[in-house]
Amino acid sequence: MKTNSIQRWSLIGVFFLALQSTAWAHAFLDHAEPKVGSTVTNSPAEVKIWFTQELEPAFSSIEVQNAQGKEVDKKDVHVDAKDKSLLEVSLPQLPAGTYTVAWHVVSVDTHRTQGHFEFTVK
Amino acid sequence: MKNRKRKLAVLKNGRGRLAASSAVFAVVGLGAAAAHAHGFVGDRFFPPTIATDDPFATDELLLPSVSYFKSADSPPIGTTDVGFEFDKEIFPKFALGISGDWLDQTQAGQPSANGWDDFVLSAKYQSLWQSDEHEAIISVGAEWEIGGSGSKQVGADPTSTFTPTIYFGKGFGDLPDALSYARPFALTGTLGEDLPTSAEPNNLEWGLALEYSLPYLQSQVKDIGLPAPFKDMIPLVEFSFTSPENRDGGETTGTINPGVLYESKYFQIGAEAIVPVNNASGHDVGAIVQLEIFIDDIWPKVFGHPLIGSDN
Repeated sequence: MKTNSIQRWSLIGVFFLALQSTAWAHAFLDHAEPKVGSTVTNSPAEVKIWFTQELEPAFSSIEVQNAQGKEVDKKDVHVDAKDKSLLEVSLPQLPAGTYTVAWHVVSVDTHRTQGHFEFTVK
Repeated sequence: MKNRKRKLAVLKNGRGRLAASSAVFAVVGLGAAAAHAHGFVGDRFFPPTIATDDPFATDELLLPSVSYFKSADSPPIGTTDVGFEFDKEIFPKFALGISGDWLDQTQAGQPSANGWDDFVLSAKYQSLWQSDEHEAIISVGAEWEIGGSGSKQVGADPTSTFTPTIYFGKGFGDLPDALSYARPFALTGTLGEDLPTSAEPNNLEWGLALEYSLPYLQSQVKDIGLPAPFKDMIPLVEFSFTSPENRDGGETTGTINPGVLYESKYFQIGAEAIVPVNNASGHDVGAIVQLEIFIDDIWPKVFGHPLIGSDN
């Protein structure tokens, strides 16, 4: 009975490990540069967002807006060629102020997610 | 978990007579396997909750839900509940579900009893009203507890009960900057009316879940550098009540369930304490653990879209 119980739980463990390596899921923001909610002293050259899943480039976007709601990025959003979970957009020199980053992405298994965060340039 | 009546055990003693049991319909939130669909409204991810249902009609599998709770009887009846639920989106934003619970009940001085409780069918229509900007949603649905589908040994009801229900969800991402650290809060709730087909009381079934999403904090408010697994956790407290309205149904019973949810890519694990709110609800703290499998993420070609029609 004890051996059967061990075998059962081992199989369950293998099942969940297999899920982690083979399955897809929604793409959530994992981390970003500038960091979510951060204050930076220098104007960043770009906004980079790493997601928890690889992205469909044609359906994934980032828009950076200033405090007046005007888009200020260079509109060159792209998925990194080497890391399909990295979405980035270039920025011009930004004056001091608070900026909103709004993102909409579709993961490779077609799930849509969205979000936004702020960062401040001192 | 859907708001569920949890009948106290009716145990036959060795001489064939029914043991004493409470006539009070017991606490909701006692680990009945109710899947709570998870979903998104705007930027907000609403996780499946345990003691109360949330307002989404998506493909989901809850397997298993395991709980233990002692009733208010004297001596108390200890119930181990192992349950499941499966929900499937049939038309866009409309899902059907089925749930079941295997009960094992013990009471001092009585032989134990075990068997299936009545099975429950459910229907839900999501997004009767929705605001992505304000992370708010209202949905409607109903449950049919199929009388006679469970075992008399564990007190499964021989008659059916229908429970039409309103569900709501509200995320607080629209709070002003001065309250930004409160934006990860979200509230979901249900309000249902038990309509039994017998002389049992009508009950108001009501509940709330207040949660604070650490993933939302990290990704939408401020990256405070939380390490795994904490950055994927959602602490919450749920309130689940049954208020009899007539036929000497007794006083309101319920539980308060503090706990935490852990979000993985393909599943959620949740655990809560079950704390009775009054003597009529019980005297001891119970516990529940659930594994929710995000089948739409694991098998996106099979699940995650309606059988008929398209979500787009």
